[in-house]
Amino acid sequence: MFETTLIPLVAEAPLLLGSLAGRVPGIFFGLPLVALASLIFAATHHEDPAAIRLAAVHWTVWLGGMLGMVLAIVLLLGWLQ
Amino acid sequence: MSRNAPTHPARSAPEQPGRIVAISPDDGSAIDLRNPLVAAVLSWAVPGLGQLYQGRTFKGGLFMAAILTTFVFGLWLGGGRVVYAALPSAADGADGRGVRALFKRAPFLCQACAGVVALPAVLQAARLGGPAREPWLLNSFMAPPLSPGQYVSRRYADWLAQHESGIGPDDFFDKPPFKQFRRDQLAMWHRQLGKFFEIGSLYTMLAGMLNLLVIYDAWAGPLGAGDESRKGRGGPPMPPADPHAPSS
Repeated sequence: MFETTLIPLVAEAPLLLGSLAGRVPGIFFGLPLVALASLIFAATHHEDPAAIRLAAVHWTVWLGGMLGMVLAIVLLLGWLQ
Repeated sequence: MSRNAPTHPARSAPEQPGRIVAISPDDGSAIDLRNPLVAAVLSWAVPGLGQLYQGRTFKGGLFMAAILTTFVFGLWLGGGRVVYAALPSAADGADGRGVRALFKRAPFLCQACAGVVALPAVLQAARLGGPAREPWLLNSFMAPPLSPGQYVSRRYADWLAQHESGIGPDDFFDKPPFKQFRRDQLAMWHRQLGKFFEIGSLYTMLAGMLNLLVIYDAWAGPLGAGDESRKGRGGPPMPPADPHAPSS
């Protein structure tokens, strides 16, 4: 069971993931970066795990909101042209 | 129990003159930074290692997992090509061209901030640009792309012709004792990887730049500590804080 199913799956994981990544629109690759930046910002401003979690959510909302607004403006300008 | 009795483990430790501490912005507890220089260097070498050295295990583990995962994921998205260095060569001289040569691959200046995970790129570039004309790791991991007209060792040329997609034996001029590459490998990488070259570069660069914050955190404590922190070697011991005071 293990050898017949899991090993080929592990061996082909990079190909499968590469194929999956190729289907994801480029803009979605920015979301993990927003989450990462929020988490690091929060963790470098706080010491308590609960405070870090809360601040990370706040930073995500702020960063995501700001970047979303910029994206909306860019899309709007592109649509107007 | 007195009103000012220590309520936090960090406060229960006896204050020692000369210890370098920061104040947590969350509960006002003292954070022992131990040797900040050592912690900062450790955090550069491996993200989060400086915090682990200081006993801040949660943050250390968090930084290590987040930044290293992002760096490795970016490297994988970019097919292992997006992290490479450009180093000054002997031909650059000492009139500033050597420094400018570093900026030929400016993203690496950000990627190098992620620590030793980017170190193979320096070793690969140094040996490929040296008299050997081939990288340390012959599989070209983190090796810089070959530019048109660049000389490489015959062994490296043969390896590239056999294993690198899009490169064949005809892509090299025979110039004993070397071989001269006749195409632009960076342009080939861009064609092969498409948008993932840029996305992978962005992930690895951001991982390095965010590690600058982690290094600062290891050096001076949390950024939100502000004026409440008392840092500096040889400073007076921290006064015991009032546990009933409102937290900032």
